[in-house]
Amino acid sequence: MMKQESVIRRQEAGVRSQATDTRSTDLPVSRSTNKHSLIGASPQRIEGRAKVTGAATYVDDMQFGPNLLYGALKRSPIPHGIIKRMDVSKARALPGVRVVITGQDFPGYTGLYLKDRRIFALDRVRFVGEPVAAVAADTPEIAEQALELIEVEYEPLPGVFDPEFGASPEAPLVHPDLGHYECVPFIFPQPGTNISNWFKVRKGNLEQGWAEADLIYEHKYRVPHVQHVPIETHVCVAQQDVNGKITLWSASQSPFAQRNLIAKALNIGHSQLRVITPYVGGGFGSKAGVSMEGAAVALAMHAKGRPVKLRMSREEEFHTTFVRQGMVAHIKMGMTRDGRITAMQNRFYWDGGAYTEYGVNITRAAGYSGSGPYYVPNIHVDSFCVYTNHPVGGPMRGFGMAEMHFGIEQHIDQMALQLGLDPVQVRLKNCLKEGQETLTGMIMHPTGLSQCIQKAAEAIGWTSPPAPPLAGEGSRTSPSLAGKGAGGLGDFAEKGVKGSGASRHKRRGKGLAAMWKAPAMPPNPGSSAVVRLNEDGTATVSIGGVDLGQGALTAMAQLAAEGLGIKIEDVRVNTVDTDYSPYEWQTVASRLTWSMGNAVLMAAEDAKHKILQTVAEAWGEDINDLDIIDGQVVSYKSEESVPLKDIVVYGMQRPDGTWVGGPVVGQGRFMPEYVTPLDPETGQGPRAVVHFTTGCQAVEVEVDDETGQVQVLKIVSAYDVGRAINPEMVRTQMEGGAVQGMSTALLEGLILHEGTPKNPNFTDYRIATAVDAPLETENIIVEVPQDDGPFGARGIGEHPMVPTAPAIANAVYNAVGVRIDSLPITAEKVWQALHRQA
Amino acid sequence: MQPFDYIIPKDHAEASALLAAGNGAVRPLQGGTDLLIRARGGFIRPKQVVDLKHLPGMREIRPGDDGWLVIGAACTMNQVAAHPLVQQHYDLLVQACNSVASYQLRNRATVGGNICNASPAADTAPALYCLDAVAEVYGPAGTRHIPIADFFVGPGRTALQRGEFLTAIHLPPAPAAARGVFNKLGRTKAGDISIVSVAVWIRLPDPQSPIPDVRIALGAVGPTPLRAPAAEAALAQDASPAGIRRAARLAAEAAQPIDDIRASAAYRRAMVEVLTRRGIETLLEQLATPSPATGGSPTLPAGREPGGAA
Amino acid sequence: MNHTIHFTVNGEPYTLAVASHHTLLRVLREQLVLTGTKNGCEAGECGACAVLIRWPDAERFEPVNSCLVLAPEADGAEIITVEGLAQDSRLDPLQEAFLATGATQCGFCTPGILINARALLDRNPDPTEGEIREALVGNLCRCTGYIRIIDAVKQAARPGKEVA
Repeated sequence: MMKQESVIRRQEAGVRSQATDTRSTDLPVSRSTNKHSLIGASPQRIEGRAKVTGAATYVDDMQFGPNLLYGALKRSPIPHGIIKRMDVSKARALPGVRVVITGQDFPGYTGLYLKDRRIFALDRVRFVGEPVAAVAADTPEIAEQALELIEVEYEPLPGVFDPEFGASPEAPLVHPDLGHYECVPFIFPQPGTNISNWFKVRKGNLEQGWAEADLIYEHKYRVPHVQHVPIETHVCVAQQDVNGKITLWSASQSPFAQRNLIAKALNIGHSQLRVITPYVGGGFGSKAGVSMEGAAVALAMHAKGRPVKLRMSREEEFHTTFVRQGMVAHIKMGMTRDGRITAMQNRFYWDGGAYTEYGVNITRAAGYSGSGPYYVPNIHVDSFCVYTNHPVGGPMRGFGMAEMHFGIEQHIDQMALQLGLDPVQVRLKNCLKEGQETLTGMIMHPTGLSQCIQKAAEAIGWTSPPAPPLAGEGSRTSPSLAGKGAGGLGDFAEKGVKGSGASRHKRRGKGLAAMWKAPAMPPNPGSSAVVRLNEDGTATVSIGGVDLGQGALTAMAQLAAEGLGIKIEDVRVNTVDTDYSPYEWQTVASRLTWSMGNAVLMAAEDAKHKILQTVAEAWGEDINDLDIIDGQVVSYKSEESVPLKDIVVYGMQRPDGTWVGGPVVGQGRFMPEYVTPLDPETGQGPRAVVHFTTGCQAVEVEVDDETGQVQVLKIVSAYDVGRAINPEMVRTQMEGGAVQGMSTALLEGLILHEGTPKNPNFTDYRIATAVDAPLETENIIVEVPQDDGPFGARGIGEHPMVPTAPAIANAVYNAVGVRIDSLPITAEKVWQALHRQA
Repeated sequence: MQPFDYIIPKDHAEASALLAAGNGAVRPLQGGTDLLIRARGGFIRPKQVVDLKHLPGMREIRPGDDGWLVIGAACTMNQVAAHPLVQQHYDLLVQACNSVASYQLRNRATVGGNICNASPAADTAPALYCLDAVAEVYGPAGTRHIPIADFFVGPGRTALQRGEFLTAIHLPPAPAAARGVFNKLGRTKAGDISIVSVAVWIRLPDPQSPIPDVRIALGAVGPTPLRAPAAEAALAQDASPAGIRRAARLAAEAAQPIDDIRASAAYRRAMVEVLTRRGIETLLEQLATPSPATGGSPTLPAGREPGGAA
Repeated sequence: MNHTIHFTVNGEPYTLAVASHHTLLRVLREQLVLTGTKNGCEAGECGACAVLIRWPDAERFEPVNSCLVLAPEADGAEIITVEGLAQDSRLDPLQEAFLATGATQCGFCTPGILINARALLDRNPDPTEGEIREALVGNLCRCTGYIRIIDAVKQAARPGKEVA
């Protein structure tokens, strides 16, 4: 029907909306070929305009009218105890209070991997801040008053405040009923202990490995609890309609997992619970799974149709949703005099806290990654998840890897230096290469780890081998260097200890750390996507994954546009509504670009195929001669073309006047089908995980040898992302992750005294600010394609903060010759170590 | 935050009467940067909040008698730091104000509020101690003046009596040949509560007053901010490198630090020594540079006496 | 206790009855439904709630944390929120620069940072990098690592120049 005079040719169509690439200083962007013009380009964030104008709607911004009730949680003030008596009658009697509920109302167990907790404590509390009751009232003020009127009497029990003690036979039991809890098959709780999971690796012959070693070194490393600190705290609104159906508006990384867990906990059907997730103000793992959302739904079920909002204060956010688990690592390593690792024996004690939503799986992930990114022929790993009376451990960016690498990557440096070897060369010698066996017996896929190590070392100006630090010497900087950088940056290198006396005490050092991380998840997490074509030829993409800021919406728009053959401006990607969005397991594990990306690409290609089928039939052509370019179907054979807007809803007319086609909906799905179980006793199996993203960071620091203050001057990040769908966004992930890693390295730790958090606020839980950020960053993309990733892509969201802390610790050692084996690397710790050394 | 009334008193007397009648349930409001946080956290439960900043003079910086400067208690940190007279004569206070929290917080936080909270870590306090500031207080008995060192009584406690509130801070005339340096140590590079802060202020000798005036004040290392008189005297005697080190050690000895979640007492004491020494060094370097204000480069006595261990 | 206040928000005059103990943040978000201004800590630490305010006797707009201003205190003030930065549909140069440099990720801190950066450029049109960093010390961002935010402010201050 619609013939055009001039035909759009493939070559011309290859020139599409030129993506902006604002940074030219980094690696050259792998320029798009004609075929993949949007892949490897860096279009701006598609929701960016909404975010910079304040128009982007987050849960707390949604309007529910004057009927809205305000929920609040009554929390345990003690870390461990029996609830002897609870009286809510005074709270119920307070005018304006509409709902008061307690554990008696919801006695069922819930949990992602191990069902060990309830929405409200029923008979026993296990951490400071555990909810024991909830209220909903007409105003936040009344809700707060009602909480004070709830009377609870506790009988305190002895607590467990250290994971190593918790794993010992002397420790009181936090969960006496552990043996009765329901559990997935790949988690191994030890009934009669506080160990909720014990993951074991037994590979090779350890004795032989020690015998081969010229140096055996053992050391213990400690990592505190840290908090994710999304700037948007947890918030949700729940409402039940007259048919009993519940809607939950939730700032969540896991709308489908929330639906699943809450529906099961409340014993309602999945289609009776609808989860809607608009924009989310950061998550970093804290908004995965379920934390406080169950309580909001429980309140809504008693609120007679009124919506109930539950929003965490910053103080609540710090210790009552999720924290990153604390961890103690015992690392023992053997190395030959030429730097070959012969054996490792590692024990990890995870401070899982009072309940374990994700902790058991973090323990598992650390176990099957427990060698670090190295080939180790003889290795034992024991990774224990231990119940304590601490805040609930949850997933956080890196999923155990940042904690584990903190020890391993310092250990490698320490051994290399003891042997007089260059830590970079030792890493290059041992790092996993394609075809080598990992510690669980999986054959390593193609990986750019060696390249990442080389490029990071080169970019930081690594001199090999680095001069061994000597007490009282080291690379002092001249005062003029402190003023490095334009525009008064020197002010900041000096800040806090400014003055001429300070610059004489600045000593510089460089350090480096490598990493690996696999998506840590069940063997079969699924993704699905739907691509619908609209009357104007634009496409609407429905997904079940969440954009937390990482850029998933934009990457999916790129993949859909590429798969369909339309402009990215013509693609809209919806946020999640479980009633309308297709299933997605969770937005965790750095898996969306890879897994959901596959589903979106497949859905786009499915839609394209349906369109071309229609055109082929209408034009009487072979489908293989047709293509979609820039929103037009073109025939390479007949040189005819037709715009999508004319055909994707209304179909096309055949030569005989009848019609073919109809509204085009493409669908796609992806689920890895090849992950194998691991032997429970040895951790061995052909394929433990889907893949590993690998990388390396190198840093330069300046240490004040009188105050112990550490200033990070530069961070270089180099990661093998398989294929960068949007290189600029990949770099922003690297940069943001590096600074988050730096912040946890130097500043962060929840201070817990007998289970009570002492710094649940920004005043005393400091995170890095604009003046603490490194003076310079460099972000290097390495691309060794992933065989089953869209265009070869694999994830990069979590990895950038994994090696930062050990890289900084190694740099501090390089600068002043002291090794800090616990986080955070505070000025005081460095000062203490320097004093001991002196 | 639980409900309370907000009241703008019509004059000083009404404000005082409201505060006196409230007995703790009535709280004065200036910048609100501390009051609102504590009210929201439930640490205080005010029934009434009395906004003092509309009273005459509260937001004014004006020359007083005999070369003094009067800073209204509700002047914001940014207002103080940007004022030409403060910049010209009391640079030490400018440095201290600019070290507090963030720019937008300093648009609310007041110098008066900073000292009324009586935190030992109040960053303007060491500067005000060095400058010999005097607090002007209004109350049922009228106006009285309290030297800054007597205004701070203990952690969170001031000399204010029932019904009294701070109306202004008076700064004595600043000698032309005086300079000060404020250094603080926080966990983050800026904006943090001080682990330790040290202000050093020196007036060089001149023909009229041949003995130099040295003042050293310490923050966050005692129940109140402190002066370190022995250190001051030592430095006035001997400003050689050895003398500077000795003064810094004496300042550390004057500190009465405690362990808390921000730092240990031992670290604090050690950092007093480092910050004091660095402050003195910076200051002497500045003072050695001829400037129109000093008209030359007079110096402290240096090395004429053996100032302790070298 | 309620107070009646008269104030201007993004150029629009309002007369509102506000509760004594409500903050300006709460009034903006709940009574005026200007939800671009975010609640991140209610303690003046994170800066997500920053707005520009011109007090009745003041010469210029200054940034404040709206969580630390009581609603009745805002009587007579002029306020600009993130929604008021763009003129008609033309974005402020800072907003353009944030998009171009990738300075926004989750976007929750973005409104407060834009407000504070706008105030910085208004009082200091060509700030050094050190001045930019110091001006933003009260705005926490957990996603970006700040580097691109700093670049964006530089770019907006010196349009046309390359961002290093």
